[in-house]
Amino acid sequence: MVAIMAITAEAALYRLMTWLSPAYPVGAYSYSHGIEYAVGIGLVRDRGTLVDWIEHAVRHGAGLGDAALLAAAWRGDDIDHVARLAQSWRGSAEMALEASAQGAAFLATTRAAWPHPALDALALRRRGEVALPVAVGVAAAVHGITLDAALTAYLHAFASNLVSAGVRLTPLGQTDGQRAVVALESAVAATARTARDTPLDEIGTAALMIDWCSIRHETQYTRLFRS
Amino acid sequence: MSAATSRFEAAPAPTHPSAALLQRGDGVVELAFARRGAATRIARLYHRAPCRVQVPHAPANEPVLAMLLNTAGGLTGGDRVSIGVSAEVAASATVSTAAAEKLYRSLGPDCVVAVDLAVGDAAWLEWLPQETILFDGARLRRSLKARVAATGRFLAAEMLVFGRIARGERWSSGRLSDKWRIERARELAWYDSMSLGREAIAHPAGIGAAEALATAAYVGADAARHLPLARDLTDDLPCRAGATLVNGILLARFMGSAVAVRASLAHYVGGLRHGAAGLPTRPPRVWNI
Repeated sequence: MVAIMAITAEAALYRLMTWLSPAYPVGAYSYSHGIEYAVGIGLVRDRGTLVDWIEHAVRHGAGLGDAALLAAAWRGDDIDHVARLAQSWRGSAEMALEASAQGAAFLATTRAAWPHPALDALALRRRGEVALPVAVGVAAAVHGITLDAALTAYLHAFASNLVSAGVRLTPLGQTDGQRAVVALESAVAATARTARDTPLDEIGTAALMIDWCSIRHETQYTRLFRS
Repeated sequence: MSAATSRFEAAPAPTHPSAALLQRGDGVVELAFARRGAATRIARLYHRAPCRVQVPHAPANEPVLAMLLNTAGGLTGGDRVSIGVSAEVAASATVSTAAAEKLYRSLGPDCVVAVDLAVGDAAWLEWLPQETILFDGARLRRSLKARVAATGRFLAAEMLVFGRIARGERWSSGRLSDKWRIERARELAWYDSMSLGREAIAHPAGIGAAEALATAAYVGADAARHLPLARDLTDDLPCRAGATLVNGILLARFMGSAVAVRASLAHYVGGLRHGAAGLPTRPPRVWNI
């Protein structure tokens, strides 16, 4: 039986905001999820195309898949299966790196700063190799954070990190970046609900062009980002 | 099956709810290849209509070839096909299809196709069917599961065409669920679950309005070594293509016009089977490239 910490809503919010803040040392800023290549070939070039691209990544790409994996990890159903699935369900080497490097960093940092025996057990079972959504899902569950809150925060972090990558890669300004975050709010909310209400086995994605951009990014000549 | 109803017309309401289900196809193929001395033989073969299996004479420098046939000419909603192929220890075989698989418009239910492949130690198995064509309104739920032993090698390629392109048709309604599940040495190595509808086909981040999509996977202890070759083979093609390595599985994707994807996939498969196994630089002869 895993001990769930009983905490106040304010304490839960504090932890969630910490873990999914760009300041949490998982290196999120160094991943563009293929957007660097999409900008390079003109598929993403302004606020409209950036929002379209990220919205699809949230609703029909890794956003949806990872949110569903997070939900399964939060529920604690067969964690070995979910952890293995989370490592295997990747469309490119760099998207696999994105999930595994951030997951390992999240797990190591959280075990050190916000320790819980369940996180130690997870690290031991998986030899520290845990994809980010699984690490976040388990941490949220054992620290008493609700699934809805964890999903919303996770998807917000995913979407706003990609907006930030887009702002760095295109002539978009910071205010336009925030307008993009506003435009993505309903996609985050809808995807969180889908991930919560759909069995993992029935979740499917449809973001082949994002996978393809990520694959091509591996051999892109000049790169700012690791993905 | 009633001769009075065409697949292209709405069928009259069945008198009993189960009548429509009973009419549907439920095809099965069970096929096992085993090594006998220096050669690979078919050790087990079972098929149930509308599925059939042909074993044409393979050239000396090619593995044993089994060709799957659908005698019904195509599949529609409610049809089920279950294919099991096993390449036992040290066997070497290629499995393809005699024609493109046609998925007709569904009146409601999904067509379900389940492929279950097993590759033993030191075995070589190629799963290289011809393309699957989704007619407008087709609903397909497809899964490909491969279990590859630690020293087994496996090359798979699947191509989907979204509509009868030559006659100007596009797959503008219907549903596709396509799952890949590859285990290597009893551990899940690559998983993909795709769920496609019209919106995702058109979306620039979805399929980007491509007419066709192909996926190839190569599994083997030497997969990482072939990444440079796979990258070369996916460069300068007439469609969007690329190769990558996920958990030691060599993957490639192709999107573009149906003609370009077919030619590009053939180029890739030919080059990879040559590079990895010294086989002729071409896909199975039935592909007619």
